[in-house]
Amino acid sequence: MIGPIGLIRRIGPIKEMIMHAEKLKHDFEPKLVAFVCTWCTYAGADLAGTSRMQYPSNVRVLKFPCTGRIDPVFILRAFQKGADGILVSGCHPGDCHYMAGNFHARRRFATFRKLLEFIGVDLERLQFSWVSAAEGGKWVEVVTELTERVRSMGPMHEFKELELEECWSGKLDTAELKEAYEAIP
Amino acid sequence: MNNTKENTTPLVDNSYYEAVTTAIRSEARRVMESGEVSAVIGYKSGRRKGSAQPVIISDVSRIDELVFAPTCTNNLSLYLTKAKKEVSKKGKIAIVAKGCDLKALAGLMSESQLKRENLHLIGISCAGVHGSNVKPSEALSAATIARKCRECTVHVPEGVDCIAGTLPQLEQLSALESAELERLEAMSPAGRWAFWKEQFSRCIRCMACRQVCPFCYCEQCLCDRNRPQGVETTPRPAGNMGWHIVRAMHLAGRCAGCAECERSCPMDIPLNLLNRKMANELKELYGQEAGMQPQEKGPLATYKEDDDESFIK
Repeated sequence: MIGPIGLIRRIGPIKEMIMHAEKLKHDFEPKLVAFVCTWCTYAGADLAGTSRMQYPSNVRVLKFPCTGRIDPVFILRAFQKGADGILVSGCHPGDCHYMAGNFHARRRFATFRKLLEFIGVDLERLQFSWVSAAEGGKWVEVVTELTERVRSMGPMHEFKELELEECWSGKLDTAELKEAYEAIP
Repeated sequence: MNNTKENTTPLVDNSYYEAVTTAIRSEARRVMESGEVSAVIGYKSGRRKGSAQPVIISDVSRIDELVFAPTCTNNLSLYLTKAKKEVSKKGKIAIVAKGCDLKALAGLMSESQLKRENLHLIGISCAGVHGSNVKPSEALSAATIARKCRECTVHVPEGVDCIAGTLPQLEQLSALESAELERLEAMSPAGRWAFWKEQFSRCIRCMACRQVCPFCYCEQCLCDRNRPQGVETTPRPAGNMGWHIVRAMHLAGRCAGCAECERSCPMDIPLNLLNRKMANELKELYGQEAGMQPQEKGPLATYKEDDDESFIK
């Protein structure tokens, strides 16, 4: 026979297990940065929160007025400062609060992706998405998928390695450069 | 950046340069004397034998200083952009333009930086110019010609007020730059990263590529700002990578391919590879490329509702 107190005692650890089921230990927790537009995706993420949907806490959300405001420099800067994956998200085409911001952003990011690909950056770490204010579920899905993908890829080394190099790292590999260097008193 | 094993026999006859020089002088004299223009932007001989340098002539008596030689590498449209406003204030101006310079001028016109009616364009049927690190006295040959000129598609300018000289029969040269581009595209991403990391690590951030670019006319460059700082200003590897990505991104869809950035680079970084790659990509994506006629809007300044969005979830 289990009395009421015994029941509570037994539920206690079970409840604890349920609450911490999401917090499995991983060897690597990726840092994700999400650049989102305030009108759609930020509201969508807010909806996910108010609806108590669970999604990985690896993502840091940065709010912008519009995807058109998100400069490729922000993405570079985030990679340099330690982001392992980046999400850029805004309104669906045609829903932009400023009429055409996301159309311009779409072309800009298509171009930027091609440039990063040519430089040799893995594009799997960079995700673009349209998430409207009603799509809390899609936000959860996008974030979870990107987190899992980046987790399986491991940390982003390329930009961080550059960041760690303290000084000019060019090689003095020509005779004249070497001579000039050695002539410095 | 030139292949020294290449043939050094001259590609064109000296009489071609004489003919172009005469044509430039007579046209410049005509427009100056009639009072149509207040100044001519062209090239004059430099101190070293065969060398040339940009000159702005506002006095008819100095017209005979104008020349054209294989060392006339500079893109003169630089003297008309925002950063050098004082020149365009002088009223209508004549400018000597090769095909690639003309593309830059057309680009500046489509960005509302210049007005066609304020310019008198003296186009040159250009056989090509020297690459970097070439002795000015050497003749134009397969060994000394710039890489951009090997695959030039704008030898004869269009839509100009006068064309100086006639194009001689030109030898077909191998497209070194496109070949290099293909080699890079075939590499793995890690290989490309290693290649560019090595190239950019040499950068000393002298900003010559920016100063010489006709399209870098912002009054304050994003890369000079420090509150907030977008790109580091010191020649550290992180900042160098940032700067070159930003430069390529800002020129995407605008660059005219004059390759002045590459020529002026003291560290011989192959910057035009990036420019050429971005031009190819934008042509493929949106069907627009830099041309000799001003466009309504560049590919990144406009959009279509049905643009490709296969990369967006």
